[in-house]
Amino acid sequence: MTKNNSLLLLTKITIIALIVGAIALPSVLEIVSPFWMLIFFIYWIIYSDTKVLYLFALILGLLTDILQGSILGQNALALLISSAFIFSVKKSFYVSNLTTQQVYIFVASIIYLIALILTHITIQGFNFSWLILLSPFTGAIVWPLVRLFLAKLKH
Amino acid sequence: MRLFKLLVPILFSIILIVLDARFSYLDSFKRFTLTLLSPIYFVVDLPSHVIDWVNDQGSETAQLVSKNEYLEGKLTELKARLQTYNNLVLENQKLTQLLDATYTIPEHQITLAHVKSISQSRLRKQIIINKGSKDGVHNTQLIVSSEGVVGQVTQVTPLYSTVLLITDPTQHMPVKNVRNGIRGITKGLATNEIGMIVEFIPLDSDVKLGDIFVTSGVGTTYPPGYLVGEVSKVDKPPNEAFLTITLKPMQNMDKLEFVLIVSEKND
Repeated sequence: MTKNNSLLLLTKITIIALIVGAIALPSVLEIVSPFWMLIFFIYWIIYSDTKVLYLFALILGLLTDILQGSILGQNALALLISSAFIFSVKKSFYVSNLTTQQVYIFVASIIYLIALILTHITIQGFNFSWLILLSPFTGAIVWPLVRLFLAKLKH
Repeated sequence: MRLFKLLVPILFSIILIVLDARFSYLDSFKRFTLTLLSPIYFVVDLPSHVIDWVNDQGSETAQLVSKNEYLEGKLTELKARLQTYNNLVLENQKLTQLLDATYTIPEHQITLAHVKSISQSRLRKQIIINKGSKDGVHNTQLIVSSEGVVGQVTQVTPLYSTVLLITDPTQHMPVKNVRNGIRGITKGLATNEIGMIVEFIPLDSDVKLGDIFVTSGVGTTYPPGYLVGEVSKVDKPPNEAFLTITLKPMQNMDKLEFVLIVSEKND
C-alpha cells in the first residue's frame, strides 16, 4: 500500500470509527459494544507499513476521548498499548486464519480494557459496570464483519 | 529505539490524563477540537432528523388539531397549578417580611433543548443536547425535565452541549429533604445501576421511605427547589457516622426526550 493510499484509508477508517462509536444504543448494548476505534485501527495497522504508528494511535485516541467526553488521554493510552501488542504480532496476524485473528483481537481488546479501567479506577474510583468486561468478546465476534467491510472500503 | 517511540506517546498521554483530571488547562483545547468534530454528531443524528421530517410531512390536519386540543388542555391544567404556586410565593413574601429575612424565591429563565441520540463514554453517564454557546448555554448550568433534575452542563460547543447526569458517580449535588429540611449531598451510582445515594446525613436524622429531596441551593452552582429524587431505601450501618440513603431519581434517564436549561434571569 502506498503512503497516500494508507493515509486515505486511515482517514476513512477514523471517520467511520468515530461515527459508529457515537451511534446511540440501548444502555446495556452500549456498555458491551466493541471498542470500535481499536478494531478499525487494528485493520489499518495490519495493512499499512507506516513508521509513525504510535503518533496516529495517540491522535485517534485523543479524538475518541474528546468526542466521547472521556478524560483526555484515557483512550489514547489504551489504544497505544493495544497497538503495540498488535504491531508485535503483525506478521503472524497477517497470515493467520480468521479464528486466530479473532483471538488476537480479543487479547488486544482485553489490553485496551485493562488500560481504560485502570485509569478510570485511579482517577474516579471503583465505579463501573461489570458488563464492560464483555466488550472484548463482542469485539472478537464482530471482527469478521469489520474486516469484510474494511476490505471493501480499501478497494 | 522502537521502545522509545512507544514510551514517548505513552508518557504524553499519562501527562494529559493527569492534567485533565486534576486541572482545567486543557478545557479550551477540548472545546475547540469538539467544535471541529461536531459534524460527526450531526451525521449520527441525521436519521432522527429525517424521521422527524417524514413524520411532520405525514401528519394529518385532524391529528394536529387533536394534538393541539390536548396541549391546550395541559396548558390550562398547568396554569391552574401555577395559581397555587403564585399563592405560595405571596405567602412566602409575607412571611419573609414578618421574619425580616432576606430569603427570596429566585426567578429562573428556562430554555428548551432536545436530547440527541449520541453515544458517550461507557464509563460516564452523559447525554448530548442540541443547544450550545450560540444559545447562551454555559458550563455548570442546571438541566431539568418536567419530572425533576437531570444533570449539569459540563462541556459546551457552539451547537451542542454535554450534560453529566446526576446519576453519574462523579456528580455531586447539595440536596435537602422537603419534609424537614435535612441537608445532604447526592452521589450517583455505577454505570448499570439506577439511582443515587445521599451522603453526610447523621445516623439519628429523621429520613423515611418516600421522602422527597430537592436541590438545596447551598453554594451558587445549583438553584434551589428542583425535585431530585425519592427515598427508596434507608440503611443504618452499625459502624458508620452517617445514614446510607438511596434515592430513586424523579426523572427516568432512559426516557429523556426534552430537557430544560435553567439559568438565572440576569444570565
